[in-house]
This record gives sequence, C-alpha cells and structure tokens, in this order.
Amino acid sequence: MGTPTPSSATPSAAFLRDARALQRKLVEEYYAGLDPARTPRRPVAYMLVGGNLAEIVRSFGYEVVFPEIVALTCAIKHQSLDNILHAESLGYGLDVCGYVKSDLGLQDRGGETSFGRIPRPDLLVCSFSGCYVYVKWWEALAESYGAPLFLFDVPYMREESPRKEDIDYLVSQLWEFIRLLEKRTGRSFDMNELKRVLAESRRAEEGWAEFLQAGRLRPSPIEAYFESIFYMFPINVLRGTPEAADFYRVVNEEVRTRVREGILPLPQEKFRVLVEGVPPYTNYRMFWDFFRKWGAVSVVATYPKVGGLFDRGFRHDPSRPLESIAEYSLGAYVNQSWPLRRQIIADYVREYQVDATVIHGIKSCRSFTAGQGDLRDWLIHERGVPTLYIESDHQDPRYFAPAQIKNRMDAFFESLEHHRATAGASPGSPP
Amino acid sequence: MTVPTLLQIRTDAALDKEENGLPRVELAPDFREFRDAGSVAEMVRRTQEVLADPTFPTARAWRDGGGKAVGCFPVYTPQELVHALGLLPVALQGGGENLEISRADASLGSFLCSISKSTLEMALTGLLDPFDAFVFPYICDVSRNLDGIFSRILPDRPSHMLHLPQNFASESTVRFLVAEYRSLLKKLEKVAGRSLRAADLAASLALFGEQRLLAGQLAALKRERPWDVSLVESYLLLRLGGLLPREVHVPLLRRALDELRGRNQKAKDAVRVVLVGPFCEQPTLELLQLIEDVGCYVVGEELQMLHRWYPRVEPGGDPLESLAAAYVRAPVDIGVRSTPTTKAAAILARVREGDAQGVIFLTAKFCEPALEDVVLYRRALEAKGIPYLHLEFEEKSTTYEQARLQLETFVESILFD
Repeated sequence: MGTPTPSSATPSAAFLRDARALQRKLVEEYYAGLDPARTPRRPVAYMLVGGNLAEIVRSFGYEVVFPEIVALTCAIKHQSLDNILHAESLGYGLDVCGYVKSDLGLQDRGGETSFGRIPRPDLLVCSFSGCYVYVKWWEALAESYGAPLFLFDVPYMREESPRKEDIDYLVSQLWEFIRLLEKRTGRSFDMNELKRVLAESRRAEEGWAEFLQAGRLRPSPIEAYFESIFYMFPINVLRGTPEAADFYRVVNEEVRTRVREGILPLPQEKFRVLVEGVPPYTNYRMFWDFFRKWGAVSVVATYPKVGGLFDRGFRHDPSRPLESIAEYSLGAYVNQSWPLRRQIIADYVREYQVDATVIHGIKSCRSFTAGQGDLRDWLIHERGVPTLYIESDHQDPRYFAPAQIKNRMDAFFESLEHHRATAGASPGSPP
Repeated sequence: MTVPTLLQIRTDAALDKEENGLPRVELAPDFREFRDAGSVAEMVRRTQEVLADPTFPTARAWRDGGGKAVGCFPVYTPQELVHALGLLPVALQGGGENLEISRADASLGSFLCSISKSTLEMALTGLLDPFDAFVFPYICDVSRNLDGIFSRILPDRPSHMLHLPQNFASESTVRFLVAEYRSLLKKLEKVAGRSLRAADLAASLALFGEQRLLAGQLAALKRERPWDVSLVESYLLLRLGGLLPREVHVPLLRRALDELRGRNQKAKDAVRVVLVGPFCEQPTLELLQLIEDVGCYVVGEELQMLHRWYPRVEPGGDPLESLAAAYVRAPVDIGVRSTPTTKAAAILARVREGDAQGVIFLTAKFCEPALEDVVLYRRALEAKGIPYLHLEFEEKSTTYEQARLQLETFVESILFD
C-alpha cells in the first residue's frame, strides 16, 4: 500500500471561497425565480445543455429550465433514486439513461424538489446535439405535457470545421424557430436584443475560458473537474445574463488570489490528472476524496465542455448572431466524433502537462461512454499516458460500488507512485 | 423445449468448420446457389447457412469475383449510392449466435447492446476483412461512436458516420441530406476508384425500387394471409436481401412470392400480433419461430426495415435529391426517427393496419431507443385496452423456456378472454 498524502485528513474543498458561495447563491436565486406561484408568470421553455438556444429563447422573455441540471442537482443532493424508482414503476427499464428516469420520475411526481418546484413547460426545445436520447426524452415530455416540441437537428462533428451546408441547415432551422416563437408569444423578433444577450454570453465565455486555462499553471490553482463542475452552472444555465458574466470575474479574481497567496486545491500536487467522463453525482464528495487521498489534482477535464468548447476558442459573436449560435450548437463535447475527442485529449495532455488520465464511464450514458475503453487503449498504447477506467452511474446510486472504485483507484495511484519512486523522479514531474 | 426441425441448421454436418469452430460456407462468385434455388424451402435453408457463418460468405464470394463490398450498419443506409458505384452494400446485422465476444467488451464498455459488441468483435478479429469500407448511420449514440472506433482500429478502410436528419419539418432538411450524401460519396468514390454517374444512380434506384416493391408485397401477403407464410420464412427472405447482390435477390424474391401466393394452407386459431422493437439488432431464429409456434400470427414487424423504407424512387431532375427526399418524407415511424406525430398515434396506427389483437415488444437488451418508446407505446395501448407483452433478447440466446411461458400466457389471455 502506498502512502496517502496528509491532505486526506483535511475537509474536502477547503480552498473554495467567494466564488463557490456566489455560485450557491445564484443557484438558489435561479430556482426561486422558477417558482410557478410567482406572478407575473413567464412562459417556460425546457432545453438541453448541449447546443442550447438559451439566448434566442431569453430574448423572447422565456424562463429556461434545463432538466439535465435539475436531475444532477437532485443526484448531488441524494434525491435522484426516488425519482428513478418512480420512473421504473412507469415502465422505464434499468438500462435507460439515469437523467431521463430522474427527470421523468420527478415530473410525474409533480416536480417538487428540496430546492424548489420545477414548473411545467410551455415549449420544449430539443437541441439534438451529441445525444440521441435527447430526442426520446423530449418526445416523452411532449406526450406528457402536450407542449409543442421544436427539434433543432445539429449535425454531428466529424471534421474540425463545419461544412457550409451544416451552417446553412442550422441557420435555416434557427429562423424557423424564431418564427415559431413569434407566433407563440405574439412578439416580434428583436435582433438588437439578441445581440445584446450574445454580448453578455461572450463576456461570460471569456471568463470561463480564463478559469479553465488556469489549470495549465504548475501547480494548478484550480480543480479542473470537481471545482469546475460547480462553476458550470452560470455558463450553462445563466449564459446571456450579466450575472453569469460577473460571476466569472469573481471566480478569476479568486484564482489570482490563490496564485498570489499559494492557496491550492491540495497542499502538494503529486499527480496532474485529466478526467474524462461524467461524474458520479450521487457520490460526488466521496469520489473527489478518492483523488485527494493520493495528491491527485485534475488540471483539465472533458466533462465541463459539454456545454461548449470555450477553452478552445469558441465565442458567441454579436456581429454574426445566428451564424455564431449555429457554430456554438456544433461544439458540445459529445457532439465531437471520437477522432476529434482523441485530438482534444491529446492536446490537453500536452498543454496541461498531464501525468495520468482517469476515465469515468457511465453505465446509462452511451453517448459519452461507448468507446471509452478504446480511448483507454489508445492513451496507454499510443500516447504512453497511464490511464484508469472505472464505471458507475451519474444518477443512480445503486451502481456506485465505493469499495471497488476505491480499490482500483488506490491500485492505480500506488502503481504510479511506485513507478515514480523506481524511476527516481520527483513528485509532480511526469512519470 | 422441442427445437423445431427448421432450426436445426447449426448441427448440420454439411457445414464445414474452421479451426476456430465457426461454421464455414463457401459460395460461388456468381451466387448460383441462390440463382438456382428453386423453392422457398431451399432459399430459407441456404440463408440459414449463410447466417450461421459470421465471416460473411456473400461478401467473400463477391470479392472472389473481383468486387468490393461495403458493410452497412442498421437501420438505413442509402444503398443505392453504394450500388451505383459498383460496390456491394452488405447489411451488418451482428455476429449471430456462433460468435463469441472476447475483446469488444474492453473497448466498448459493459452496458451495451449485443450488435455493437459483436460488430466490433468481428472488426478486431479479422471477420470483417471482406469489407473495403463501412457506413454507420446515426441511429443511436452507440452506432455513431462505433464509427470513431473503426476509424482507429481499421485505419486503412474508410468508415463514415452518416448523420441522418431528425428535423423532418424544416424546409432545408433535404438539402442538408444531399450534402451528407455527397460527403459519403466522396469516400465511396475513392474506394470504387470512379465517380458517381447519374445514369448509374438512376439504374440503382430502379433496382432497389423493385426490391422494395417485392418486399412490400411480401409484407402485405404476411399481413393478409399469415398462415401461408411463416415469420421465419418472410424474415429470412428479406434478410437475404441485404446480403446478396440485389440483381440476384430480386428474381429470387419474385420466385419466392410466386410460390407463397400459390399456397393455400388452413388458418389456425391464432392471435394476430404486431412485433415492435427489433429494428436493429436481430433476434434469434428460434425466438422468431417460437412466437408463431405458441399461437401468434405476426402481421406487422420492424425486422428488416432497410427494404421497406420508401417505395420506388423516381430519379427526377436530380436523383441524389430524389433519394434524400424519399428518406425525409418516408412515413416510417420507428425508434430511430423522431416521430412526426406522437408515439401513441404511431402504435395505434400499426395495430389498425395489421388488424392486430395485441402487440409484442421484442427489444434488444440495452437498446435505449426501443426501451424508451415502449413506455409511451404501452401507455397508449393500455388506454385502448389492447394487450401487450414485453420480451428482451440478445444475439446469443440458449434457453427459451421463460419466453415460451410468457408467450403462451399472453396468447391464452387473449384467446380465452
């Protein structure tokens, strides 16, 4: 057995300060704002994170609800299993996506959560971007609520740059969507309002990218997986509002303070880790502790990019509003083909000086997970990056086996430590 | 259970066996075994032999004749484009019952359908060597991701993920699909060593139109006189259509239809059912036969949708656009397409069309598109008091006792209601 670092004795995430507190406040305010009892009631659009059209919908005065984020919030608060079991009682099988079951179970139980009541949808906007289950999920919601469904078909990315025909197809659908919104709200489309919202989006994207890229520093002042996931909320849910843009100003100020004062995620950064995959939200803190115990800091991760590859340069552009929304919709991480995903990961390994990769496969998420075993093989044998593959679920606690996962992670980091010791390398240097 | 005589093919001593234990079938490059097959019984027997051999005997025979073959993952590939370039489109529908999975689990993950694992296993073990290229349509996330894995493990053979559109209401969908087809063609033209010619595409549209017309007639016969053609027969006759050169299959299917139309068997007191769910991965023949053995007539199913997507496509001014428009406007409403109406309307229409008394959901284990639809279908059926049964299957099944019991109970509950 190797030697865990003293950091295992410290409480999780003690380095988190103002930004985390502000993020909590934003979450609370957002759900309070969704309360169906609030007057005047604004129409509600349900939307998915990947390739979403939040800016357009917001410019028409809609509230936006992201059922994926509601589901993960339930899971992190240990409230997902009841919803999942209820969905299973409705007929959804064991092998159906945990997000779908958690959400549909919650909806069928009236939408009541410990963090607020989720309102019914007036409009369902399905951005089919990177996950086929999205279509099925939104069809089920449409049949439950009788709400109109707009299906925004986003081509899968197989080359680094989209074809002109892809952009034309997307922009054409965006205009059709705008006509639908005009018809439903009785309001005329205001291009200037959209440009104003996009400018706020861009400001948030700049701040978010700056935060993520701080992981390149050595040692890293950020936790690029577990901490970043907290900060995904504003970029995904509040993008286009001044609050989101201002949030990242606070985040980056805190990161600069950390660098100045030497406040780090762990006292000693022994392993710089890339994490690929959705987290086990039901056991989030425990999973994080499995890394911390070994002095493993995630310096870069793929999951925080599910809402867009902002760290790789994409920005909404108010001077090309619909074209840039079209380009944005293509950029969800899981909408990238495996060759593109491999390229992104290869770049991350180099740019962030990664020592090892941990892949967390999700039992019920084929989109993210199918092929991660092949990725492991590629990382180990073609890129020389030590890689661990473990599996559980993002929503369903029944699939998280703590002892098994801990044993595998212990063995992995112990072997890395051993390799380092026998190679005579100092902690923090690549194995 | 007693194994029906028809299904004892795997113990047939006439099949050669390779060192790896897999049955080995050799066909003549001119496919005379099928050109000369004079009866439905012979066609069905030969198809069973071909399916028992996971090394793709028809693709190997085609290569022996100097041709190149393209493996097409379910459910829909515009085969006409492959054919018009002189390539043989071959339906990749899994490894079947004889293939052992040893390497694919590690590459793909645990909780995935059999067809994805067996397809990858075949790629990793050289069983897909008869193919020069692959097409993976975006029918689900697993199919889509397989393309990216193939591009790494078989780098010398092009693999293409075809984005089949899901927005059927947009005025720009057909134009987008034409662009998709052009991207696919770019890769296929390299494989073929020549460019697509409009006249060739028009000829291919005509040939596949004929195949679909006959496939539609077979489905109609099965619906109208289900006692005269068994599910296994109709299934195998259509399954063959994705494996043989279509120039061989079309006359074979015509001969089969002539014989089947001439049958005049006595109708049994059986329950008319629609079979929903197996649109991609295919159940074993034993399971299909069991469904009718216990007292069902299958009057509607999703087994070989490739041959029933749309009727004849007229080339028009731009044959590529005509082909794309045919896909987009096809009235197909199964798990791999967003529904143009509602799932409730779709299932009730299927029941009406087949004048069915019940529905059997036969879904592949881990097939998410099918599993999620089942809930909505069930809700609609319950509201109308239409009985249903849900069974799951995998490519390799060895015992059918539980399925038989469930099916018998289902049939009895309808017959004696």
